[in-house]
Amino acid sequence: MSAQKPTVFEHEHAGPPSAAAATMIFLALAGLTAMALMIGFLELGALKVWVSLGIAVVQTAVVGVFSMDLKQSDKLTWLVVAASIFWTFLLFLFTLTDFLTRHYFAF
Amino acid sequence: MATSTAHATEGNPPIVAHHFNNLRQQQSSVRFGMWLFLVTEVLFFAGVICAYTCYRIWYPIEFEAASTALNPLIAGINSFLLLTSSFTMSLAIRAAYNGNQPGLKMWLAVTILLGTAFLGFKAREYYVDFEEGLVPSTKTAIVSDHDSYSVLDQHKTVSLFGQKLEHALKEKKYYKEHPEKLKEVDFDRARLFFVFYYSMTGLHVVHMIAGIGLLVWQLVLANLGFFRPQERYVYVEVLGLYWHFVEVVWIFLLPLLYMAGHHSADHLHL
Repeated sequence: MSAQKPTVFEHEHAGPPSAAAATMIFLALAGLTAMALMIGFLELGALKVWVSLGIAVVQTAVVGVFSMDLKQSDKLTWLVVAASIFWTFLLFLFTLTDFLTRHYFAF
Repeated sequence: MATSTAHATEGNPPIVAHHFNNLRQQQSSVRFGMWLFLVTEVLFFAGVICAYTCYRIWYPIEFEAASTALNPLIAGINSFLLLTSSFTMSLAIRAAYNGNQPGLKMWLAVTILLGTAFLGFKAREYYVDFEEGLVPSTKTAIVSDHDSYSVLDQHKTVSLFGQKLEHALKEKKYYKEHPEKLKEVDFDRARLFFVFYYSMTGLHVVHMIAGIGLLVWQLVLANLGFFRPQERYVYVEVLGLYWHFVEVVWIFLLPLLYMAGHHSADHLHL
């Protein structure tokens, strides 16, 4: 068999996170979840939703990069993740620019 | 690591399928396939969350009031159950990677148990919501209008859901301290929150049930020795990707649905 050029799917993979790494990830996420629950009981007004969503985004990043092992994924997987974030951004952008500006016009 | 395609023998499927160059390429393709599926899932849930965002921005008072009627204790317990199940899933993947068959079976079983416990608490939560009448029904009732000064018009039509929600909120500490805030709530609009609450948590539950079904299937496969060749750990890993994604969805449902209201530690109950 002649030597084939390695494809994007043939990069090195060092295996899933170890038990020690998984424990560290779990503890970090448990701390963030406790924080999210605590904020739910505080009266922060309009700031509350932003702080809560900020924690959710950090939690998602931890789950994605470490638990789902994006940190050693290939470029194509990162591209797929970036594309999903970009399409979600477009979905929100076009929907909200319509719905949130309707009251400026006398329809 | 295998570099060529293995040949199948009867009852022993090949580890590397014939259309892959080598094991590494096959494993990466399996992972990539799951990531592509998860993109469709991201857009699926993003659509519902986007609709929620529009109405939350339009009716912030009603959404905060309706969220106050939900049960933050069950939501908190479920958050930790799901988080722990993600941890045990990671341990199952590691066990499969190390060829630790008893460990794989044990952690898959623990993950199934934790997922089932989540569903049990969820069922309890739905039951309590139903008992309190927090269902976005359009049913109405004719009641006496004591405030009416008219002799002819002594009855009025009221929303049953609105009455139940108002009754539930009057018991909450925040609305006892700020009764004027309750007067600002339009209970017909608050019904919209519960439409989102049931659809978003319901879709999440459907994903949980599918995930538990797949975990049971992998536990059966583990018992049959399917994962004995360590190279097959990647199938446990991709199910782990799905399970972690289900956790990410919950991470967003918690602040959007449960933590949007005015909760107090005085009203925590199961």
